[in-house]
Amino acid sequence: MTNIPKRLLYLTLGALTTVSLPGLYVRAVAQERGRAAGPPAGGAPGRGRQAGPGYLKLFDSNMPFEAHDLAGIWSPNGNGFGGGGRCRDCGDRGYSFEFPEFTPAGQAAFDKNIPSYGRAKDSDDAKAHPEEHIGRRRAQPPAFGNDSYGTCNPMGMPRAILYPDPVEFIVLPDRIYQHFQWGYGLRTIWTDSRKLPAADDVDLPRWWGYATSHWDGNTLVVDSTGYDERTWIDYFGFPHSDQMVLQERYTRTNYDTLELKMTVTDPKYYRKPWVAETKRMHLLPKDFIKSSGWAGLLEDLCAPANELEFNRVIRDPAGTGKPPVPPPGPGGR
Amino acid sequence: MAERTFLIGAAAAFVAALLPAGVQAHHGTNINYDRSKQWTAKAVVTEFKYVNPHAQLYFDVTDDKGQVTHWSGELLPNPAQLLRNGWTRKRSVEALQYGTKITVTVAPSRAGGEGVLVLKIENENGEELLAGGPNAGGPEPPARGNP
Repeated sequence: MTNIPKRLLYLTLGALTTVSLPGLYVRAVAQERGRAAGPPAGGAPGRGRQAGPGYLKLFDSNMPFEAHDLAGIWSPNGNGFGGGGRCRDCGDRGYSFEFPEFTPAGQAAFDKNIPSYGRAKDSDDAKAHPEEHIGRRRAQPPAFGNDSYGTCNPMGMPRAILYPDPVEFIVLPDRIYQHFQWGYGLRTIWTDSRKLPAADDVDLPRWWGYATSHWDGNTLVVDSTGYDERTWIDYFGFPHSDQMVLQERYTRTNYDTLELKMTVTDPKYYRKPWVAETKRMHLLPKDFIKSSGWAGLLEDLCAPANELEFNRVIRDPAGTGKPPVPPPGPGGR
Repeated sequence: MAERTFLIGAAAAFVAALLPAGVQAHHGTNINYDRSKQWTAKAVVTEFKYVNPHAQLYFDVTDDKGQVTHWSGELLPNPAQLLRNGWTRKRSVEALQYGTKITVTVAPSRAGGEGVLVLKIENENGEELLAGGPNAGGPEPPARGNP
């Protein structure tokens, strides 16, 4: 399919889906100014609709804003909630479209990780997309995979911010909390000028690492390290060592857009710093997400009680073709 | 089974492209199932669970010889996504009570067995239940096999 018909198809689909959302969630005033072409205009104020490459346009981007104020609920990676595709700004869950240069140790760690996200390993689908790097074409059923999030371990960074679900920046005088709806994870970014420990001097690794920050003009520069090696850089199973230093650069470029540039430096696993494509997040109104009439992030928690049972009854049988194994008996776990 | 209607060709491709547009799993869901072999059947609900990481639908299908098969299905959306589309827990559970007659379209497990991915549920009135709804996802339908 050439680009033009493909675009037409997406536009048509976009138009088809451009109808009112359930009243539960919608506080949208459509504004097109300063945006790339999206689905044709037509939504009335108060009706949710999509504009641009895959995100809900809910504010006038040209409204005045404070560049150093990052507080609010942001919808990462260009997309609203849990949707998205493979394009750069519509919810892709990869750190980068470019394949990094591994050290031998890094290559071994990459080979050891078995993700369940991406095109199925050795499938016709995977073979039909040689333009995508192998990290995106090696997925296996979770029953045969080793994604630690499959049993609800914390996602860590930068993986957590690659998932296209909202993240709230909670700004306190001495720190910023990033509260991720997906997994309900909480990450602390210190803003009190503390110094980042050297990767070699970290007393105890953390799932969410150690993060400190400073302003470089209008960009919040977040440097972090000390990450538990069991977390993955992204959904495609890219590894990091205990030497990883992650730098994130957050820049609010207009009222409702936050740009994120990232660099992973990990000499143990990667021959040179690995730079991600720029990610974009978009601001959501405070009362956009609601349940039971309450505004705020949903508790989209990965609870082991749910996940382990789901793995036992649904996910693993579907991956292996075998019936569920009986649950552990009294004292079994 | 006589009651099953296999969707083929363009229709299947179209449905396969559209249905996942609204919702995506956090991992592993599409890897486990083969959307190119999806089937539709009349069924009876035996259990419905509105829980993370994915809502689950258990149902029985009876073939023309009276043979009953028990199926275990997962839905692509999780409760947060269902809620966003107006399908609260109360509404969903009430719509899929034990014994409810439905028409269900599923993708079978690649590995075989009775595990399926539930793509579409209709009640006896032909109304779609737990539908993805508008704006549930991006404008670009994710390619098959991605979520």
